[in-house]
Amino acid sequence: MRKFFSLGLVSLAVLAGCSSGGGGDGAATSGESGTPAELRLAIAGESEDGYDPTLGWGRYGSPLFQSTLLRRDADLKVVNDLATAHKVSPDGLLWTVDIRTDASFTDGTPVTAEDVAYTFTKASESGGLTDVTVLDTAKAVDTDTVELKLKKPQSTFVNRLVTLGIVPKHAHNEGYARNPIGSGPYKLLRWDEGQQLVVEANTAYYGQKPAFGRIVFLFTEEDASLALANAGDIHIAAVAQSLATTQIPGMKLVSVDSVDNRGMMLPAAPAEGKTTDKGYPIGNAVTSTLAIRQAVNVAVDRNALVAGVLDGHGSPAIGPVDGLPWFEEDSAVVDNDLEKARKILADGGWADTDGDGIVELNGQAARFTLLYPATDTTRQGLAVSAGDMIRKSGVDVNVEGKSWDEIETRMHTDAVLFGWGSHDQTEMYNLYHSSFAGKEFFNTGYYRSQPVDGYLDLAMGATDSAEANVFWKAAQFDNKGAGFTARADAAWAWLVNLDHTYYVSDCLDVGKTQVEPHGHGYPITAGITSWTWSC
Amino acid sequence: MDLELLIKDVLATDESPPAEGLSSDRRRSRAAILQWVGGKVARLCILLVAVSVGSFLLVEASPIDPVAAYVGAEVLNIGPDQRAQIEARWGLDDPAPTRFFRWAGQALRGNLGTSMIYNAPVAEVIRTRFAASLGLMALAWLLTGVFGFGLGIIAGSRPGSRVDRGVRWWVYTLASAPTFWIGLILLYVFAVSLQWAPVCCAGPIGADPSTVGFGDRLHHMLLPAITLAIVGVGSIALHTREQVVTFLHGDAAVFARAQGERGWGLVRHHLLRNAAVPALLLQFASLSELFGGAILAETVFSYPGLGQATAAAGIRGDVPLLLGIVLAATVFVYAGNLIGDVAHRVADPRVSLLPAARA
Repeated sequence: MRKFFSLGLVSLAVLAGCSSGGGGDGAATSGESGTPAELRLAIAGESEDGYDPTLGWGRYGSPLFQSTLLRRDADLKVVNDLATAHKVSPDGLLWTVDIRTDASFTDGTPVTAEDVAYTFTKASESGGLTDVTVLDTAKAVDTDTVELKLKKPQSTFVNRLVTLGIVPKHAHNEGYARNPIGSGPYKLLRWDEGQQLVVEANTAYYGQKPAFGRIVFLFTEEDASLALANAGDIHIAAVAQSLATTQIPGMKLVSVDSVDNRGMMLPAAPAEGKTTDKGYPIGNAVTSTLAIRQAVNVAVDRNALVAGVLDGHGSPAIGPVDGLPWFEEDSAVVDNDLEKARKILADGGWADTDGDGIVELNGQAARFTLLYPATDTTRQGLAVSAGDMIRKSGVDVNVEGKSWDEIETRMHTDAVLFGWGSHDQTEMYNLYHSSFAGKEFFNTGYYRSQPVDGYLDLAMGATDSAEANVFWKAAQFDNKGAGFTARADAAWAWLVNLDHTYYVSDCLDVGKTQVEPHGHGYPITAGITSWTWSC
Repeated sequence: MDLELLIKDVLATDESPPAEGLSSDRRRSRAAILQWVGGKVARLCILLVAVSVGSFLLVEASPIDPVAAYVGAEVLNIGPDQRAQIEARWGLDDPAPTRFFRWAGQALRGNLGTSMIYNAPVAEVIRTRFAASLGLMALAWLLTGVFGFGLGIIAGSRPGSRVDRGVRWWVYTLASAPTFWIGLILLYVFAVSLQWAPVCCAGPIGADPSTVGFGDRLHHMLLPAITLAIVGVGSIALHTREQVVTFLHGDAAVFARAQGERGWGLVRHHLLRNAAVPALLLQFASLSELFGGAILAETVFSYPGLGQATAAAGIRGDVPLLLGIVLAATVFVYAGNLIGDVAHRVADPRVSLLPAARA
């Protein structure tokens, strides 16, 4: 049905662009110069269970109402926010954070180390969408120093310092999620659930004061957002790449890079008839051979996928963390090279002995199934096109669209077109570490590499992010022949990173944007306090 | 419920001679009313139990994993320990029968539980969302009734005429058109292209709902209500038309004509009341369809009503909310049918509300 909506309104929007000429008396074209009193954004991101960071609010984008100890700047470098300094003990277990003394909650009370300790303790106990289970204890040493003790060293814990908004201990009760009090740049004015969130600048905010006094977040479907944009009623509309095809008067199309990636997981375990404890089959006789996986990586033409399937709104993907500070650029391979693909296959012993265009090895034809979620047209396009490209190299791909429920039963034995992308390195760890083989959606292909496990563990145990990044990069490719990317083990064939497309008012400058994680829309607010109006 | 009406109703169907005396008559009628009310309440209770058990079994049998739906794309950042904490928060770590009886026990005490998606009491979620939907549904219901009945009368008065064929063609076309498609067409024509109506929402962007005036509210509700009405008009129009045609060929019409009634007089004095009977019943019985249609219309027009919440509860396996909504919808539809029965009785005195008294 959604697809129908989208297709329907694409054409509607095109027509509207021609017929209405973008008149409209809405906020976007108010005609008067100067910053509008109210900024209107249709970028989704409603947190249905409220705005409580201990339940996961603020995982990406701006936490609006709260502020965090650290944050990531436009280059994704970790910088101080509420914290003035932080250090990690040599054993990686004790994180000591100094916090600023000039911050206060919107109810006037100052933010203390006690509140920080409370927030972390609470988050570690509550069943929300932020995983702080590694925390052992959090303790305020004095009013502006807090000690966070972990159960085991975890360098990715820094991401909790980046995403977990601090809540006031004295006002964090049952109704908090609907009446958030924090020390962030904005305070909640009204939340009409399912429709809109209205926020107003917090005049007592200690950081950079936002240029816009009032912001309305509209929670419309993309089609309605597009219609609102056409009517000149809003300043930003987040729309899918497939909808970003028209010109909207008074608005520019902003394409933001992301690690919202799509790639083929290629099961690395051999087919030995084993099953998971749920009874799902494990292993694949074809994709478990290195030559096949490498050939697949070299055979696909990622630029053609970007141009053909994504209408140019994307970039070729090298690994799962492209463009992030822990990305190893040396892990790229030259793709769209059928000669090389055939050579890799021939070197691996694969040859077309029966003349059907498909290579064989020991009587096993090089044929595997690639699954994609049937409701996702972008993944369908990627899967079908990539299948055609790979087939030219002599490896047959049987592309099938299935429901997630069925994919779950087959994802340990068939290739799957997955999509991930996070600012948290934990994701990379979970995808490739052998200890997560077969657990949930983590390492579904049972990929197992001792050097990679070693690098991932070293990165996880590192006590500063520069050191950690060295090992995160080595896990991708260590220049000595190990790594999970295409140049070594080729555990996946990553295909593309999507661009996140937004129609933004010509007058609104959203500055330099972060490389956005999976999830299109709300992440653009990460730099909301530095947005400016240029008309 | 109009008590006097009920008493009249019972008296009318009471076959005992009036000579027995007024006091015993009253006693008996009161007993009959109590019996009638009691029967209806008992039936509703049985229905509620059946509906909640059935819905729970269906949700349990569905492959939806509420935790997976909640976690969504965060799945790689949520470790097994955290997942266990989520399950514990929602009480999903118990077996299904335990969960159902725990819910039922609380529900009997008036506590419908906490919605997983909205992290708020189910009763509160339903109340706020239903308040938004109610106006929309009421308007749609009214439009459906008035236009459906009107079209039926017009078409049925001259069966086989051009008007009749036109109305029937129009009604068949609309009845077979999907709600969301009609919604999209209206959205394009009136909101995007002509810009007469707003594209979305229940009020102006950024405005405080408590200060939004009646006119503005109506303006925002009009397109979704018309969408619902357009789709719902069909059955009422066709049934009314049938009834009109039957009546005009019946003895009553012949008799009325013999008395000199013609044209509008015939329609007004004889036909309206007869034709109103199936229309009334259908109109009240259509509350369930209205409920279903509202989900689609609200999605198309980003209208924050109960429809949105219902869809979310179903897709994401929010069992407490889904059961709460199912119960509320059951009561709503049951009440609609009941009012339909009573209205039927008012329109047609030959009909009795008390099946027991007929025997």
